[in-house]
Amino acid sequence: MSDALPGLIVEAFFAGALVTVKVTAGALAVALAIGMTLAAATVLTNSRMLQTAIRIYVEALRNVPSLTFLFLLYYGLASLGLRLSSMVAAIVGLGLIGGAITVDIFRSGFRSIPVGQSEAATSIGLTPFAAFRLIVLPQGLRQALPSIGNYAVALVKDTSLVAAIAAPEIMFNARQLVNETFQTGLIYGSVALVYLVLTGAVAQVMSLVERRLETR
Amino acid sequence: MFFQTIADNIADWGPRLLAGLRLTFSVTAGGFCLAFMLALLIEFLRTRRHAAVRFIARLYIASARGVPILVILYLLYFALPGAGITLSAVAAGTIGLAAVYAAYLAEVFRAGLHAVPAGQREAALSSGMSPLQAFRLVLLPQAVRHTIAPLLINLVSLLKDSSICALIAVPELTLVSRELMSESFLPLHVFALTALLYFGLAWPASLVARALEQRLHQQGQRDSGRGKRPVVEVAAVG
Repeated sequence: MSDALPGLIVEAFFAGALVTVKVTAGALAVALAIGMTLAAATVLTNSRMLQTAIRIYVEALRNVPSLTFLFLLYYGLASLGLRLSSMVAAIVGLGLIGGAITVDIFRSGFRSIPVGQSEAATSIGLTPFAAFRLIVLPQGLRQALPSIGNYAVALVKDTSLVAAIAAPEIMFNARQLVNETFQTGLIYGSVALVYLVLTGAVAQVMSLVERRLETR
Repeated sequence: MFFQTIADNIADWGPRLLAGLRLTFSVTAGGFCLAFMLALLIEFLRTRRHAAVRFIARLYIASARGVPILVILYLLYFALPGAGITLSAVAAGTIGLAAVYAAYLAEVFRAGLHAVPAGQREAALSSGMSPLQAFRLVLLPQAVRHTIAPLLINLVSLLKDSSICALIAVPELTLVSRELMSESFLPLHVFALTALLYFGLAWPASLVARALEQRLHQQGQRDSGRGKRPVVEVAAVG
């Protein structure tokens, strides 16, 4: 048994890490799409109703624990007849929570661009949308990038919670391995290392992207 | 119908949810106090002259921020007994949360101290104060102003993350609601109620934190007198 343990660990972790990466990528995509769309809509339209709706969405999701929200989504919707697979629930749940975080990041990024720039752009004949897309968006995204990087790192860590709704990521696999082998210290210690590598890698990639954009 | 079902069950659920809420409270409060003290220690170590000491403090912060809370809780609760240290679930949860948030609060303290212009310290020293006096009378009071809002935001995060303790069997709000769900088969009702309880605690704190942040921001703009006033009256801050 002890001879096979390293092999078992590597196998379980590799499969788990793959799922962790998938959930992270999926949730990040959902969160960025929601955040950017809503932030752009608030900057472009100025509609009071939209602002209020977004405020409610942000406040509701940022003041409730991720775990509670995941349970609500996974078990709650199932009781209404909408049975999500644990992977879908994980990606949608973390994505929705993330959207509430990224919308504020993008919005303050867009707002940090002086109004004069979009005024100048519209006065030389650009439509408001074109002014936003060509002038405000590229600069605003660059402003938002460091905070998005922090969010991405936090997201990698939050994916560990989806083990609680039975998505077979690292933590879930580790727990099963512990149930078979009882090597708690070794296995959970290695899990910690795997997460350190993953979060470190994400942070590195983000700062690389940041530097790349800065030099241009 | 939705509310009728909740009303029908509230006599059973209410007291148990409240018991869970009480434990959520104590884990959050205990974790935050412990984290506060640990963070002061870390920040103290990080400003020492010995490179090794600074390195240890930085290593601690990096690893506490790079590993999920769940993993740390599992290590404390399931792996430590292997080393001969057995913690109760509540103790493991409180210590684990504190260990992680100490790293975050240390950053808050550092940012607070950095927010005070270096000239303040220099002016205090040149007017004859000892370094300790300068810290206590000039730097600290100004740094505190910059830390209150972020501290509150971290407290809200800690409250939310205390739900993770459910996964090491701390019978706090989230675990209680999961038990209620498996008894009643009403997950939507139970978790909606639980979410509402968390929201009721977290939202007011978030609002206060944001208001404080905004005020500080406006003050900062006024103090630095963006474009309108020359920057001369540094001493009038406060």
